[in-house]
Amino acid sequence: MSENHQDHDHNHDHDHSPEIEAQKREILSKRPKPTAGRDERYWNSLEQWGKDPEFQKLAEQEFLTSPLQEEDKADGWARREFLKLMGASLALGSAGCLRRPVQKIVPYAKQPEEITLGQALNYSSTWFDGSETFGLLVKTREGRPIKYEGHPQHAFSRGALSARAQAHLLSCYDPDRLQAPQHNLQKEGRANAETVSVTWGQLDEKVRAAVANGGVTLLTGQVASPTLRQMIKDFQTETRAQHIVWEPTNPESIALGQEASYGTKLVPSYRFDRAQVIVSVDADFLGTWLTPTAFNKQFAEGRRNVEGMSELVVFDSHYSLTGANADKRFKIKPSQQLTVVMGLLYEVVVKAGHSSFAANTEFKEALSAFENAGALLGFSDPKALEKVAQSLLKAKGQSLVVAGGTATQNQDALLLQVAVNALNSALGNDGYTVVYGQSQVALTGSHQALHQLVDDMMAGKVKTLLIHSVNPVYYLGDWFATALTKVETVIYTGSHMDETAIKADFVAPDHHSVETWGDSEALTGIYAIQQPTIQPMYDTRSILLGLSQWGKISSALGKAESDYEMVRIYWKDRLLSSLGFKGSFEDFWLDLLQKGSVGALKNERESVRTARVEKLYGAKPNKQEGFELLLYPTVQLGQGELSNIGWLQELPDPITKIVWDNYASISIATAEKLGLAEGDKVEVGMNDLRIKVPVHIQPGLHDDVVAMALGYGRTRAGRIGNGVGFNAYNLMTHTQGGCYFSGQSLSMKSAKEKYTLANVQGHHTMEGRAIVIEATLQEYLKDKSAGIHKHKIFSIWPHHRYDGHKWAMSVDLNVCTGCSACVVACQSENNIPIVGKKYVLQGREMHWIRIDRYYTGNPSEAETVFQPVMCQHCDNAPCETVCPVLATVHSNEGLNEMVYNRCVGTRYCVNNCPYKVRRYNWFNYRKTLEKSEALALNPEVTVRTRGVMEKCTFCVQRIKTAKDTAKQEGRALKDGEVKTACQQTCPTEAIVFGDVNDPKSRVAQLFKEDPRSYSLLEEFHAAPAVRYMTKIRNNSERVINAPHHQHHEEAKKGDHA
Amino acid sequence: MIKRNPLVLGNKTLKDVSDDICAPVESMPSGGWLAMFLSAKALFIYYIISIGILISTGIGLLGVNNPIGWGTMIVTFVFWIGIGHAGTLISAILFLFRQKWRTSVARTAEAMTVFAVMTAGLFPLLHTGRPWFDYWLLPYPNQRGPLWTNFRSPLLWDVFAVSTYATVSMVFWYIGLIPDFATLRDRAQNKTRKLIYGILSMGWRGSSRDWSHYEMLYLLLAGLSTPLVLSVHTIVSFDFAVSNLPGWHTTIFPPYFVAGAIFSGFGMVITLMTLVRMGFPQFKDYITIDHMEVMNKIIMTTGLLVGYAYASEMFIAWYSGNPYERYAFLNRALGPYAWSYWIMVSCNVLSPQIFWFKAARRSIPVMFVVSIFVNIGMWFERFVITVTSLHRDFLPSNWGMYGWSWMDTSILVGSFGMFFTLFLLYLRLFPAVSIAEVKPVLHVGKDVKGGHHG
Repeated sequence: MSENHQDHDHNHDHDHSPEIEAQKREILSKRPKPTAGRDERYWNSLEQWGKDPEFQKLAEQEFLTSPLQEEDKADGWARREFLKLMGASLALGSAGCLRRPVQKIVPYAKQPEEITLGQALNYSSTWFDGSETFGLLVKTREGRPIKYEGHPQHAFSRGALSARAQAHLLSCYDPDRLQAPQHNLQKEGRANAETVSVTWGQLDEKVRAAVANGGVTLLTGQVASPTLRQMIKDFQTETRAQHIVWEPTNPESIALGQEASYGTKLVPSYRFDRAQVIVSVDADFLGTWLTPTAFNKQFAEGRRNVEGMSELVVFDSHYSLTGANADKRFKIKPSQQLTVVMGLLYEVVVKAGHSSFAANTEFKEALSAFENAGALLGFSDPKALEKVAQSLLKAKGQSLVVAGGTATQNQDALLLQVAVNALNSALGNDGYTVVYGQSQVALTGSHQALHQLVDDMMAGKVKTLLIHSVNPVYYLGDWFATALTKVETVIYTGSHMDETAIKADFVAPDHHSVETWGDSEALTGIYAIQQPTIQPMYDTRSILLGLSQWGKISSALGKAESDYEMVRIYWKDRLLSSLGFKGSFEDFWLDLLQKGSVGALKNERESVRTARVEKLYGAKPNKQEGFELLLYPTVQLGQGELSNIGWLQELPDPITKIVWDNYASISIATAEKLGLAEGDKVEVGMNDLRIKVPVHIQPGLHDDVVAMALGYGRTRAGRIGNGVGFNAYNLMTHTQGGCYFSGQSLSMKSAKEKYTLANVQGHHTMEGRAIVIEATLQEYLKDKSAGIHKHKIFSIWPHHRYDGHKWAMSVDLNVCTGCSACVVACQSENNIPIVGKKYVLQGREMHWIRIDRYYTGNPSEAETVFQPVMCQHCDNAPCETVCPVLATVHSNEGLNEMVYNRCVGTRYCVNNCPYKVRRYNWFNYRKTLEKSEALALNPEVTVRTRGVMEKCTFCVQRIKTAKDTAKQEGRALKDGEVKTACQQTCPTEAIVFGDVNDPKSRVAQLFKEDPRSYSLLEEFHAAPAVRYMTKIRNNSERVINAPHHQHHEEAKKGDHA
Repeated sequence: MIKRNPLVLGNKTLKDVSDDICAPVESMPSGGWLAMFLSAKALFIYYIISIGILISTGIGLLGVNNPIGWGTMIVTFVFWIGIGHAGTLISAILFLFRQKWRTSVARTAEAMTVFAVMTAGLFPLLHTGRPWFDYWLLPYPNQRGPLWTNFRSPLLWDVFAVSTYATVSMVFWYIGLIPDFATLRDRAQNKTRKLIYGILSMGWRGSSRDWSHYEMLYLLLAGLSTPLVLSVHTIVSFDFAVSNLPGWHTTIFPPYFVAGAIFSGFGMVITLMTLVRMGFPQFKDYITIDHMEVMNKIIMTTGLLVGYAYASEMFIAWYSGNPYERYAFLNRALGPYAWSYWIMVSCNVLSPQIFWFKAARRSIPVMFVVSIFVNIGMWFERFVITVTSLHRDFLPSNWGMYGWSWMDTSILVGSFGMFFTLFLLYLRLFPAVSIAEVKPVLHVGKDVKGGHHG
C-alpha cells in the first residue's frame, strides 16, 4: 500500500548555487514595499515629524506595528504575506551565511495517489489471535500503520476489538523481532546460542533438501486463514507431510464432546445475545474462552434493554471476568464442574421430568447419584441448583449452558462437555443458542495429535519438523525439547528468536500481519481479507511463500509468486463460487478490499439435535479433597504469545488489577490458614515439581483452589517479556488423554519469602460511597433510578455557555464487562507510555482510562463491579482554577484541555481532581522508546515531555478530524461521527460519546431520559461531562438498595458540604 | 513594686556590650564552630548534588506519585516557611508592643527567618516538573498572546506572598544591622574589613539625624512586616484550604497555620539559641534564661492553640456530616499513616505541656529537647496535612501510599545543611545580638532606684 512511499528526503545544500541566487533576486523583486504611512498627528521623534528622508527609509524597513494582524490597511501587509516573507527571508538568511544549511524536505519523490500528508488512511484487514478472528480497519499515516480499529462491517466481530488485538500492532515495531533468516549451529557441534544470518536462498536450499527427504511434519497453531489452510493441504499432497494443529488452550474437548454427543466433531458457535438465561461452568466467555470479544458484544446485546435483560449464572473455579459479571456467582473447584452440570441435569430431567431423557431410566439412574449435588458443592443455599434449573426451564429453548476453557481441562473434560450438550439438548437450546451449522472452523487444535507427534518424534519417525506460529518449547518445556533433539531438521517460522526458535536448525522469520496479504474465516462462511499496510520492515517472508518454496508445490496456488497472488488465486478459484458472487472477480475483489469481509451470521433456528448420553452412565460425583490446581490464560496476555508487548504487561488484570506478574491466587480463608499475606511466596508441589510463587489473596475464591495465570515466565520473549512472572505451563500435565490444566492435587506451604506484586488499585471496596451504583432488576422495575441519590445542588455562579457543541460521554456500567480493550485502545491512540513494574509500585502508571474494580458484599463470596474512569471533563473543573499558569483550560465545547507546552508541572491540578485521572510525566518516558517503536506513535497526538501533566482529551484529535471533514463537506456534524478510541473498540458499546447540545444525539437522550444516568460524585458539583448508568443485577434474591440506608438519612439532614 | 529582672546580666558597660557581641566576628573561629560548619557545608554540598540529579533526571526520583502529587518538597517548604515566622514576630510585632526582652534575640531570630525563607523558597521552584520554566509563574509582559498567569490559583498568591515576605524580612533585617555594621566598621583593624563593613553600613555616622531617620524607618518596616507575619502563612495555608480535597478544604487553616508557624518558629529559635549560648558563652548574659522562659511560654501557648485546632478539625469533620471529610480525619488518626498523626500530636500538643512547670521552662536541657520535639512535630504536621489527605480521597480505587525514596531523605536532610551553613556563617560575620538595641535596655545611665522607668 505504501510501495511509492519514500521517507522524508533531506537534501543538505550548503553552497550558493546559481538557483538560489536567482531565487533570492526573484523573491526580493516580488517583495512588496512597506510604506510608513502612519497617522501624522502623532510622532515619535523630531525626525519623523520633520519627514526626514533617512527616517522614512528606516521606517520602511522596520515593523512598528504588529505584523501579526490578520488584515492590514489598504497598503499594509497581510499576515500571510508576512509569513511568506518570513519564510523566504529565513531561507535567504541561511543561504547567505553558513550558520543554517538549507535542508529541503521532499516528502514524496512520487506522490502516491491516495496519500495526503496529515490525512489518515484506513485499510480493511483482519487478525486472528489464535482463537478469535477480528475484522480490522488499520489506520495508517504516511505509510505506517498506527492503530487498529474494529471493522464495524465484519459480521462476527462487528467493530469490537480485544485488548490484545489493540496491542498486536505494537508487535510490528517490536525491536526484538527477527530481522533476517537464521541458521542455528547446534548441529555443527557449536553452542546452542550461536545463530548466523543466512540468505533466503541458502535457507530454502537446505529446507527443500530436508523436505525432499520425507518424514515431514508440519506443526502449526490454529489456522484461520483459508488460503494458508489450502496451501498446507497442497504442501501435504506434495510432500506427504503430516499436519498437526496444536495450541495449549485449544477447545478440543468441546469438539470431542460434540462428536460424542452428536456424532460430528466441531466447535459450534454460540449466541449469547439470544439467551435469556446463561449458565457458565468455568467457561470464561467474556474473558478468554474461544471468541470472548464477539461474546462480549452478544452478551451486552442481551442486556442492553434492561427490562428484558438476560440472567447470567456462573459457576466459577477461579475469579474469572465472566464470574465478575455474573448475576449469580457460585465459587466451585475444578473437580466439582461435572457435579454442577449433572446436578442441573438431575433437576431438569429427573425432578422436573423435562425432555425425552425423562424416559431414559439408565440415564436417570446415573443422574440420581447427583441428587444432593447442592449439598455436595457446599453452597450456602442448598436449593441453589434447583433455582438455577428453574430459571433454565423457564427460558427453555432460549437459554444456554456452556462449559470449557483450561479450567475444565482435566480427566472429566469430555464427560463435562457431553453433560453440557445433554443439558442444552434437553432444554431445547441446541440449534438456537448453540449454533452447529456455523462452527468455529479455525479451532481444530488437538492435544491428542500433539501427543502422537511427540511419540513419533521420540521414535525417530519425524525427520523434518516445520513449526509455524506456535511455541511448543515454551508451553511444553523439556518434554518437547527432548523430542526435538531426535528430529534431523527443525525449521521454525515466527517473529522472534523465542524458546522454540533457538532450538530449531533454521529460523524463517515471518511477516507481521500488517506486512502481508492474508485472509481469515471467523465462523463458517464469514471471510475477511488481510491487507498489508506497510512494506515489510525487515528481511522476512510470508509462510505462504515459504511452504510453496519448500514443498515445490505444483498447484496453481503454489506456483504463484507472491502472497498477493496466492490469496487472489485462492479466493478466485475456491471462494468466489461458494460465495455465490455472479460478477467478475475483479469487481468482487475491489469490493472485498473496501468492505474487508464477506458472509453473515446464520440467524435461522436449527433443529435440536438429540444428544447421546451413554458416556454419562457411569458418572459419579467427584469428592476430591485438598488443594486443586487451576491454570488459566489471562485477558491481557492470553497464552503468552504477545508477552513482549509492554502495553499488555502493564494492562492490569481485570480482576486482580495486578500488572507485570503472575501469582497463585488463593482464598482469604486459605491465606489465613497458612498464615500468608499478599505477595508472600508459597512452595507449590505437584508430583516431583516444586516451585516457589507469590500468592495473591483473592476474595470470592474457593478455599481449595490455587489458580495461576499462564503466559508468563517467558525466557526468550524479548527485552520486555523475559523473566516476567513464572511459567505456569510447567504445572500442566501431559497424558495421552490430553493436557490437563486443572483439578490436579497439589501441596502448598509457606516458603517464608516475601515478594512484591504491583497492584494498580490498592483498595478494593467502595467504603459505602455512591461510586458504582447498583440495583437489582426488581428494584429497577419498581424505580428506574433505584440506588441513585439525587442531591439538591445550586450554584451562585453563572455556568459556562456552550453555544456550539458540548461534548459528553455516557458509560453504561450495566454492559461494561471490564474487558479492558478500551485501556489499550487509548494507549495506542494517545501515545501513552508504559512505566514498568518498579514505577507502577510507586503509583506512576500512565493510563488515561482506567477500570476501577470494586468488590461488594461478603469477601468470601465477593461480587465485582467495574467502572471505567477517564477525565470527566467537568464544567466546574477543580483542576482549571488551581493551575497557576493556565495550562489547563476550559474549551467552549466543554472540553477540559491540557496545554502541554504551557505546563510547568506543579501537580496542583491532580491534587485537586476528585477523580485523580490526571497523569504526570515523572520522567522523560519518550526516551525509553526504541527507534522502531517510535513509528507506532500517532502523529496527531503530542508526545509529552517530562514534567508535564496529561490526561484523557476525549480524543480531541478525532473531534477535530470529524469537524474538519464535516466542514469541508459543508454539512453539520452527525451524531456518532466522532468516536473516541475507547468507544470505538468497546465490544459492549458501553461508551457513548457525542454532543449534548444536539438534542437528538444518543448521549443527549441518555443524559436526559435515561433514569439510570448519574454523575460520579454528583454532590461535589464538578458537573462532569461523563455520566455513568447504574449497574443492574438480575438476581431476585438480592437486595442492594434497602429503602432507608444510612446515606439517605444523612442526606436528609441536608448537609452535603 | 516588683522589680523586674534585668534584661542583660553581668553589669555590662557599654563597651563590654560592644566587645562581647563583636568578639565572634573579630576572632578566629573555634574548633567547635569549624566542625559544625564543615559538616553543615558537606551536607549542603550533598544537597546541591541531589538537587542537580533531581533536576536532570526528573521529579520522579522523589516519592510523589498519583494520588500524592505533593510530598516531601511541599511538606518541607511549609515547614521552613513556618520556621521563619518567629523572627518577624519577635522583631516586628514584639517591637510594636514594646517588648524590650526581644532586643537580644531579635537579630538571630530574624536571621533565622531570612535563612529559613531562603531554604523554603527553593522548594516550590524545584518541585515543578520543569523548573526552567518557573518564571512562567510571574505575570510578566510577554508575546505569547499575551499569556497571563491564573490569578485564581493559590499557588500564584503563594509566589507573591513568599517573595514579598522574603524581601521585606530581608530589608528589615538589614536595616536593623546598619548601626551594628557601623560599629564593626569603626572597630575594624584592617582595611578589607573596614571596607566591607563600611559598604554594608551605608555611611552610617550615628548622628541624631541618622538615628531619627533610622528609628522612623524601623518603625515603619515593623508596621509593614506585622501583617506579613499573618499573611504569609495564611496564603500558604490557602494552597490547601482553597482546594477541594477533604482534609485540606477547611476554613480553620489560616489561623491554624499561623499559630503553627509561630509555634514552630519559636521552637527553632529555642533550638538555635541554646546552641548559640553553648557556642558563645559570653552571649549568656544577653540571651538570659529569662528570655528563654518567655519564649517557652509562647511555645506552650501556641502549642495549645495548635492542639485546639487539631481537636476542632476533628469535631468539624464529624459535625459536617460529610462522609469524605469524616473519613479523611478518621483516616489520619487511625489509617496507615496514623503513626505520623500521633507523632504530630505527641510532639506538638503533649511535649510543650511540661512548660507548665517553671523549672522546666528555665531548664536548658529540657527546653532543648522540647524544641527538637516541636520541630519534628511540626514537620509531621505538614506531612499529615499534605500526604495523608491526598493518599485517600474520594474514590477508593485511587488510594495509594507515598513512595518515600532516598531522594526524599536527601532533600529533607540537605535543606538543613543549607540552613545551618548560612546560619553558621551569619554567626561569624554578623553581630548576632543587636548592639544598638541592647545598649538602651542596659541600666547604664539610668536611675535604678526609682524615678523614671525605661
